[in-house]
Amino acid sequence: MIHLNNVTKTYPNGSRGVEDISLHIQKGEFVFIVGSSGSGKSTLIKLLLKELDPTSGDIIINRVKTNELSRNQVPYLRRNLGVVFQDFRLLPNKTVYENVAFAMRVIEAPSRIIRRNVPAVLALVGLGKKGRSYPNQLSGGEQQRTALARAIVNNPPILICDEPTGNLDPETAWGIMQLLDDINKRGTTIVMATHARDIVDDMQKRVVTLQHGHIVRDIKKGGYSDEA
Amino acid sequence: MRPSTIRYFVREGFSGLRKNLLMTMASMVAVAACISILSFSYCVGSNLQYMLNQMEDSIGISVFLNGELTGEEIEKMKNQISKVEHVENVEYISPGDALDNLKKEWGADEDIFVGLDETNNPLSHSFQISLDGIESQTSVLDALERIEGIDNIRHGQTETEVLMKANNVFRIASVLVMLVLGMISVMIIMNTIRISVVNRRVEINIMKYVGATDWFIRWPFIIEGIIIGLVGAFVPVMLGMPIYARVISSIYNYIPVIKFIQFRLTGSVFTFLMPVALIFGVALGVVGSVTSIRKHLRV
Repeated sequence: MIHLNNVTKTYPNGSRGVEDISLHIQKGEFVFIVGSSGSGKSTLIKLLLKELDPTSGDIIINRVKTNELSRNQVPYLRRNLGVVFQDFRLLPNKTVYENVAFAMRVIEAPSRIIRRNVPAVLALVGLGKKGRSYPNQLSGGEQQRTALARAIVNNPPILICDEPTGNLDPETAWGIMQLLDDINKRGTTIVMATHARDIVDDMQKRVVTLQHGHIVRDIKKGGYSDEA
Repeated sequence: MRPSTIRYFVREGFSGLRKNLLMTMASMVAVAACISILSFSYCVGSNLQYMLNQMEDSIGISVFLNGELTGEEIEKMKNQISKVEHVENVEYISPGDALDNLKKEWGADEDIFVGLDETNNPLSHSFQISLDGIESQTSVLDALERIEGIDNIRHGQTETEVLMKANNVFRIASVLVMLVLGMISVMIIMNTIRISVVNRRVEINIMKYVGATDWFIRWPFIIEGIIIGLVGAFVPVMLGMPIYARVISSIYNYIPVIKFIQFRLTGSVFTFLMPVALIFGVALGVVGSVTSIRKHLRV
């Protein structure tokens, strides 16, 4: 599903984001990307989203070599990738329903399908009754659930999460993780960058550890570090 | 494109303008100023051209002859004039006919005609010469001056030249003013759209992540430019219509001599001007928004 072959990203100022990384993620996997700040996690996420292009190496997502895609094709790549951020990034002047519907509208989904899918996905994330609320009327957890609903409403095969629990208290964070696990069980591949040691330890999924831009550890099932 | 998508663009376009009302108004005023100049210069210019055309239709040279002439002499001279190149028609006007024409033009009761009749007529024999075009006037005049027995030649050369020059100077001046105002409008629109882009940066960011195409992101801003252009063009032209009608009727009322000259009808001026102004306004709006999008919208 996702293949990185000898990928290096050097920034214009000369600093290395990632260096000679090779990573292969199969369909339906749940992968944590862990590491301290500056380890290359953010660079890796940006490369997957094609916000950045690699300096060398190939990135293949869904059988498409993304580093060779033209600008015009990028939107169609992104329709295969749901994204969730630490800071939720909801539109404050739109309701929960409208925030989720927005993701469908901008890819020109028919209104009929929007009216059918949005309530279903809101129910899935546990916000069935919050459709008319505005983001500032929601708790942090509910806001992240809204963002999650928006990320999956177009049914992308891959979900990329950048510190999705970073702004949440442990209990709320755990709720989000349960939800991600559910989504994963329905067949969506999930790549999640995180600092949250507890969560990684508890989930017991594949863990890829980055350090100074290199992959230093990649285990099929385990915790944040070897002790876990 | 789906109808729902088009509705979405239009709604977003309007909402962008509403959130940014002051700049929106400023842009519309700038476009309106530009379109006002366009309309004004078209009204004046097209009327000048219209007058020139009328003069061209009636362009003629009057030739007045020396003293008493016999019918034979007149016939001979008529033949001579007819042979001059570019002369289309030569019409003989006897002193009696000339007096009748004058009376018709001025009104027979005028004091000036007291004591004048067939036996006491100071007017001379003359020819009314029509030409094939306004531009051949000079060469015909040269030829006429070489013919003997001609006392006086009257023609409208200076008037037409002045009108033509005025028309040209006016055209150049209005194009220059329009260029300057057009540039100012484009710059103000660019700034308006830039603010709109900044206002929506979170939205644009999300749109990118969920896979909106570049054009999907750009369209609402282009619609904003189009709305600015349409309103900025429509309002001054609509206001201009009654003003034009008023001005023309005032000219007819207060300057009676002008009665010889016809002005263009309001309807005919504005059926041309309205679509041209709207197209021009939309063009300003689109140029402004597209330039701004290129500069400020990183999609």
